Amino acid sequence: MNPRLAHLLTCLYPRPWRERYGEEFEAFLQSGPGDLQAMANVVWSALHARLIPTRGNPMNQSPNSFRAILKHPSAFLPLAMSLAALGVLACAAIYGFLQGAGGIIRQPDEGTAAHLWQILMAGQLTVLLYFAVKWLPRAPKQTLYVLALQAGAALASMAPVYFLNL
Amino acid sequence: MRSTRNVVHPEEDPKIGYFSDPPLLVLASLANGPKHGHAMIEDIARLCGTRLGPGTLYGAIARLEQQGWIEPLPAEDRRQPYRITGEGLRVLRAKLTTLQQFTKAGLRRLESL
Repeated sequence: MNPRLAHLLTCLYPRPWRERYGEEFEAFLQSGPGDLQAMANVVWSALHARLIPTRGNPMNQSPNSFRAILKHPSAFLPLAMSLAALGVLACAAIYGFLQGAGGIIRQPDEGTAAHLWQILMAGQLTVLLYFAVKWLPRAPKQTLYVLALQAGAALASMAPVYFLNL
Repeated sequence: MRSTRNVVHPEEDPKIGYFSDPPLLVLASLANGPKHGHAMIEDIARLCGTRLGPGTLYGAIARLEQQGWIEPLPAEDRRQPYRITGEGLRVLRAKLTTLQQFTKAGLRRLESL
């Protein structure tokens, strides 16, 4: 079917429907025959979708949307690891204050907190790489947003180490 | 004479019509593995002779997805495959069993004519 016609027909559907299925439906129409019967079927179905909206839960997100991608373990694990690394630093700092050292207590062999931080930060690199390789070809824009979020979390975790010379 | 001997197939007499319950057809099509839209249409046409229109197919997909009976898989190129969920399999089995019982009862009645 003509891409412009496919787009016009998709526009007949209600907005929530279009937000969820619009992109894939348009691609589906474009790859199919653009005969009168198919067009009439789409017009009738769009009218039906407007008059009797699909019942049940609100329309699910597209599987390639930012939120949907963020729910995949390879997307949220690096974020969680960065936050956990930041948590390790916070715990070490609180422990230092409680011991009266006024901050993180430096140990000659770097200590448990430092090793944990290093494992968490280095461990997320493989997950991050896997995420980028898997998702960048499928949904480049949304994947870049998630990668930016992951980079932000990693920087937030590295900032105290850099600025406090830990 | 057994009246079921004179079965007329829809291909022979289009006036009889085809079985048309798009959500059930989509569930049955996905029962043997994930498929994208065009593969579903072709599979359903082979299964029972019904060729769903694009709007009808996506209407059924939307309903089934909202009910949690099918779910999308990551897109392949520009094609969006779907697969049946565990709950969808349970519903399909229940519906087909009811349909089977209904068919058996209906045919028994015809045979007794």
